[in-house]
Amino acid sequence: MAEIDAAISVRGVCKDFDGFEVLRDIDLDLAPGTTTCILGPSGSGKSTFLRCLNWLEEPSAGSIRIDGTLIGRSGEGKAARPMARRELARARTSIAMVFQHFALWPHLTVLGNVIEAPVHVVGRPRRQAEEEGRAILARVGLAEKADAYPHTLSGGQKQRVAISRALAMKPKVILFDEPTSALDPEMVGEVLGVIRELAKEGLTMVVVTHEMGFARDVADTIVFMDGGRIREVATPTAFFTNPQSDRAQRFIRRHG
Amino acid sequence: MTWPALRTILDGAVVTAALAAVSILLSLPLGLLLALLRWRRIPMVAGVLAAFVSVVRATPFVTLVLFVFFILPSAGLELEPVPAAILALTLNTAAFSSEIWRSALQTFPRDQLEAATAFGLSERATFTRIVFPQIWRANLGPLVSEVTILLKCTPAVAVIGVVEITRAAGRVGAETYEPLPPFLVATLIYTALIATLVRGQRVVERRIARRFGWVRP
Amino acid sequence: MSGLLVVWESRDVFLWGAANTLSLVLSCLLLSIPLGILSAIVLTEATAPLRRLLAEVVDLLRCVPFLLLAYVIYYGLPEIGLRLDPWWAGLVSLTVYTTAYLAEIFRAAFLAVARDNIEAAHAFGLSRLLLYRRIILPQVAIMAAPVIGNQVITTIRDSALLMIITVQELTFAANFVSANHFTPFAPFAAAISLYLLMSFAVEEGVRRMERIRTVRYG
Repeated sequence: MAEIDAAISVRGVCKDFDGFEVLRDIDLDLAPGTTTCILGPSGSGKSTFLRCLNWLEEPSAGSIRIDGTLIGRSGEGKAARPMARRELARARTSIAMVFQHFALWPHLTVLGNVIEAPVHVVGRPRRQAEEEGRAILARVGLAEKADAYPHTLSGGQKQRVAISRALAMKPKVILFDEPTSALDPEMVGEVLGVIRELAKEGLTMVVVTHEMGFARDVADTIVFMDGGRIREVATPTAFFTNPQSDRAQRFIRRHG
Repeated sequence: MTWPALRTILDGAVVTAALAAVSILLSLPLGLLLALLRWRRIPMVAGVLAAFVSVVRATPFVTLVLFVFFILPSAGLELEPVPAAILALTLNTAAFSSEIWRSALQTFPRDQLEAATAFGLSERATFTRIVFPQIWRANLGPLVSEVTILLKCTPAVAVIGVVEITRAAGRVGAETYEPLPPFLVATLIYTALIATLVRGQRVVERRIARRFGWVRP
Repeated sequence: MSGLLVVWESRDVFLWGAANTLSLVLSCLLLSIPLGILSAIVLTEATAPLRRLLAEVVDLLRCVPFLLLAYVIYYGLPEIGLRLDPWWAGLVSLTVYTTAYLAEIFRAAFLAVARDNIEAAHAFGLSRLLLYRRIILPQVAIMAAPVIGNQVITTIRDSALLMIITVQELTFAANFVSANHFTPFAPFAAAISLYLLMSFAVEEGVRRMERIRTVRYG
């Protein structure tokens, strides 16, 4: 796949925390309109990698392009400079994120959470943002919760609000950081259902998850990470029926 | 500034320290007593004490000092400045510290009280053997910080003529027609005293935490 | 009864005193709340030398009794060529002092805002200004209202000490009336009632914020 066509293009990304290498030399290209699931044992670096994609973690080396545009640094190689805060903030508006623990803003209503960034960061007219926000909430089945405060919602509802907040940005890419790990088992389904619908609509999504069944059904690509490296990139069928590496085989045996 | 001038201010510092020491020794037990009385929920008494605490919390300390100093003679008590100052400081700190004691009593684990009753401890023994040993340790931090707050209040008693640090500095300033240097020296003395207390509070809190393994029940 | 009459006849003095107390405290808050927020931002975000310097200044100010700060500012400003009348000197000292306490209150409140909340703001491209204006400060206003209310009451109490540098605030008025009419009880009782009223007003404000808090945070 040519680098230019990729929605996300990662080259040589490394990350170390106090001399401890968490990510090693990661290259990856993801096509637009596809859903990618990142799998791997805990501590494999998958969440750190996801957080590098929107520069919440700053990679120690390497470059990341979203839809062809460099993020975090301007210029490559020796000429690379850290982006100005303002520039980085602007770049982040095209990459929305859904967090494991929802991270909703508790002082704003559900609709307030959804329209916050579209109105104040992107600069959309409030009326338009509210209309779009209500439409998105209706899509995830929360139309009647628009004026409620987050603390009144269940975990599954909170995560659907968080997904609505991401959709309202009309991003090029949505990153999901273990979106169902903090949920009670009976709520996992409703959240995965929403993500599944979005996948059908052709959004570009990257999902770090432990839900094997979901990954098998929904992903276009499986990325398997272990020990801070990408060990396999494959279609779900290829990955689950014929994993290439020992580590992947062991991982599937344990979790599949 | 001359040596005698400095001596005047240092003599004032002794008075400040004595005022603070006497008032704290009177007000912390008094505060505990007020809290215990409110804990009992005796209808009239509880209401009166609550009103007393709200009034003192809202009233500026200097206003309280003037009030005590001017009022008591009209009630037939001829009060000298020093006892009046001690009375005002004690009332003030008793009201504030009673709130600390009160919240300590309110949040005291109910099951411990029930256990004490179940083992036949009298009400008095429950308090002296079970409750008090825990709450004073747990609230040592806030109680010690009442000491620093009290020390910060003391300059106000200068208005009724007690010659403590501030009044002494004022005198030196009036004699030399240069008020700034003595007030700077006075500020330095207060800051040193209070900073030492704050340090001390941290050390004591750490020791308590180390010895008893916890800070609050 | 004659005491009450004295208070009634001197009502202009009391009103003038109360107005001075209120105008001092309100002006002080208008200045020290933004300054306190700004200091707290420096205390949490600035690089080491500036942050440490400010932390030392704040700690030091919190060790000084207010009356002494007021004296030093009142007698010190002329030394640096600034002649202010007592009201203005009083406002300067009250503002400096209150700012130090508010800086510490806001700093602690900033730390209490959930980290993931702030991270989400970064992820959605909120600038630092927006982060503070839209995410952090509204939450601080709701969560720290009781502590801020306590500080406002403390500032009202501190303002009475300004009578000593001849600011004609409420306690000055009570003292003046009591000295002129030889009836101490009623004038001071009147002043204390007015202080109590002010503190009730502050507590009502705090209660309103707490109602908002229950609605939003449960």
